[in-house]
Amino acid sequence: MSNELSRHNPDAQPDGTEPRASREASAQPIERYVFTPPIDIHETDDGLILRADLPGVSLETLELQVQNNRLTLFGRVPQVAPEGARLVHQEYHEGDYLRSFILSDNVDHDRISAKLTNGVLEVFLPHTPKAQPRKIQVSGS
Amino acid sequence: MAVFRWGHSWSDAFSDLEREVDSILQSVNQTFQGLRFGRQYPPINLYDLDDHYLITAEIAGVVTEDLDLAIANGVLTVRGGRKLDEGADENRYRRQERPHGTWQRSISLPERVTEDGLKADLTNGILRIVLPKAPAETPRQIPVTGG
Repeated sequence: MSNELSRHNPDAQPDGTEPRASREASAQPIERYVFTPPIDIHETDDGLILRADLPGVSLETLELQVQNNRLTLFGRVPQVAPEGARLVHQEYHEGDYLRSFILSDNVDHDRISAKLTNGVLEVFLPHTPKAQPRKIQVSGS
Repeated sequence: MAVFRWGHSWSDAFSDLEREVDSILQSVNQTFQGLRFGRQYPPINLYDLDDHYLITAEIAGVVTEDLDLAIANGVLTVRGGRKLDEGADENRYRRQERPHGTWQRSISLPERVTEDGLKADLTNGILRIVLPKAPAETPRQIPVTGG
């Protein structure tokens, strides 16, 4: 929900520069807002549940990934109004959603699950199972 | 400045998250200040298309059963709300940023709208209300009599 305006260009090079061809082709760069969605986190006996408000995001436009202990969600929001619509009153900006979290080893990365309902993403972050006590056989002479 | 401290057990679960979240929360707080100081919830956008108006609002997590639209005397009233997640113990929240509760917004409609043709759709947390424009009236000739 921050008003951070970022320039989104799918053809951008990894170093952030735009390819020359696209700069010439499109006089106007594609500008998109990127918002930090509000989240809730609450504990259950089995782990943590994280919920994020992502209005406008569908299964097809949501990316959720865990890499190097970092959980990242990125949701793209397609333009709601058809082409040619004239915006006559504006109280919010359309934009995409991005937020990431550092997970600890207490979260069982392999069992993370998620669902998306009515624009709300729910991610379940289960505890890693506690190691069971193991009996060690002692042999005597 | 630390805005939030994890106060519960299992505090190392999101150790680095705390720092990251603190910086994020600054921006979120600014948004909530916007809500506190007079900005209405939910924010809406209004578009003008050739033969209809389109009103959009972001209301993630609201189900159609909890949404109510009424139109009278050129004013559209939208009521809705959502609860905190059911079954969740309030004391076990680590973080609570998502707004909850009930809200109501009244919107004065532009002139010449066919109220009967109003259509609404709620998909992926976005409410879309379509208001067809009434056909433009043809100019009426007024006969002038002279004496």
